[in-house]
Amino acid sequence: MEDQTKLSRTFRIITLTLIIIGACTFLFGVLTDPERTWANYLIVNYYFLSLAMGAAFFLALQSISQSGWSAAFKRVPEAMTAYIPFAAVFFLLIFFGLSDLYHWSDKGAIPNDQLLQHKLPFLNVPFFFARMLIYFALWVILTSILRRISIKEDQTDPTNQKEILSLFNKSELYSKIFIFVFAITFSLAAFDWIMSIDVHWYSTIFALKNVVASFLHGVSILALIIFVLYKEGHFPFINKYHLHDLARYIFMLSIVWGYFWFAQFMIIWYGNIPEETIYYFVRWKEGWKVLFFLEIISNWAIPFLILLPVKTSRNMTVITAVILFLIIGQYLDLFGQVIPGTTGSLRFGWIEAGLFLGYAGLFSLVVGVSLSKAKLIPPNHPYLDESINHLFK
Amino acid sequence: MKRVFKIGIFDEEERFISSIESLQKKEFKIYDVFTPYPVHEVFHLLKRKSRLPTAAYFFGLFAIIGVLAFLYYTSVIDWPIVYGGKPFNSFPSFIVVTIVITIFTVTIASLAAFSARSKLIPGRENTIFDSRATDDKFVIVVNTDLLDNSKSEQITTLMKENGAVEVYDKDFENIYA
Repeated sequence: MEDQTKLSRTFRIITLTLIIIGACTFLFGVLTDPERTWANYLIVNYYFLSLAMGAAFFLALQSISQSGWSAAFKRVPEAMTAYIPFAAVFFLLIFFGLSDLYHWSDKGAIPNDQLLQHKLPFLNVPFFFARMLIYFALWVILTSILRRISIKEDQTDPTNQKEILSLFNKSELYSKIFIFVFAITFSLAAFDWIMSIDVHWYSTIFALKNVVASFLHGVSILALIIFVLYKEGHFPFINKYHLHDLARYIFMLSIVWGYFWFAQFMIIWYGNIPEETIYYFVRWKEGWKVLFFLEIISNWAIPFLILLPVKTSRNMTVITAVILFLIIGQYLDLFGQVIPGTTGSLRFGWIEAGLFLGYAGLFSLVVGVSLSKAKLIPPNHPYLDESINHLFK
Repeated sequence: MKRVFKIGIFDEEERFISSIESLQKKEFKIYDVFTPYPVHEVFHLLKRKSRLPTAAYFFGLFAIIGVLAFLYYTSVIDWPIVYGGKPFNSFPSFIVVTIVITIFTVTIASLAAFSARSKLIPGRENTIFDSRATDDKFVIVVNTDLLDNSKSEQITTLMKENGAVEVYDKDFENIYA
């Protein structure tokens, strides 16, 4: 099972071209239409960060629950977490677009607005970036510790069972720390970066919905990367039970996502308090209504209905099709959360497409490089045999 | 009619499963198995198929349509009342009720279907092959009525080889299964 990926020339060229396209789009966009560019910059930034964080959460859960089936795929979520430091840099660059994104950062608006004054101790520029630094520091430190333990496990002597077991226990301990940190910091991050755009509006379930969205889409991209690697000839042992487990993750999380989406919508709709319903009023106007329904269809209805039968959830092509819908779904979801509060115009043009492609290229390159740096299948993992001979359990 | 059964008791899941596999390799028919917890592998090995999930799906479909129809009838047709300025047919607020009653219906109806299919009614007599089958042991039961002595001995050795704690023959006058 000695297996290591190599990045092909074409992969490097394609991803670098995409990154250049993204960078050019960003530069031209900032010069011509800064408000629209910064809003889309936030969307794509958060989009790929949420994938990396979802993968990190998946990795931590596998260690905590001591899951056997996923041990061989461990390197894929690890590689996805390598994107987090890049996201940190891009998020700090938001400093330059602050006035285009967040109404609360506007000094002129605060004296006439009681709500902004009330929120000032939390939502002010220095504290906003201080919190951002703390979140990213914690995430980068914890995910790199998990990665380092995993690499160290590869290098230990396979006969040294004691050392391997102690490393395994160590990764479980850090995973436990990570999920607590993740739950608190990522919730606050969703409040800070996304919800504070609509600064007069609030929803307590908002963070939970975004945490689940990150987990759902992180796992779907994880599954997609595994399928791509399988098509390239890696992971030769994948059977229908591995596929079924991945599909079940997507299925279960799409239900949870739909649950929170509906909970937020229904409470606000039924409560009928103007300062809350304004959020959905904007999203029910002409044009936006289509987006509103596409969001729930692509994130919940399609995964739920398609992955309900056992036969479809053991078919790689079907799962891949569902994942493509989820990729679009997460974009629509974030688009609907960010754009109405910033530019307020519903359009998808070259700025949106270019930025998304650029980030997709960067994310693929980072994950690809990180994957090629270590053995694709961790040879000394205690559960490796169980993972390779995975049966319906 | 008196019926003879060979009963093998196992401590561990792996030995129990490897024993089933080797019995099937020699083409012995397994009459029944008992496990302390659900083991999906056994389900696959014995090639048992269950239509209960399909039934549950249709119970769910029936429940969703039934509950929504009932809510529509009560709050739109029969007794329309304005609640907090909402329309009579306020679909989003119906969903929570629908989900809860659907779960309830599917649970009860599946239990009823399962009980009816396996003829489980209160006061039903049951054959207990080995009292430890209701405890922490894994049990394999093979009907040896039509097998001669050498074949029967072969089963015993197969089970013993795979790590059975105990293998013995037992006669039953009546089988309630």
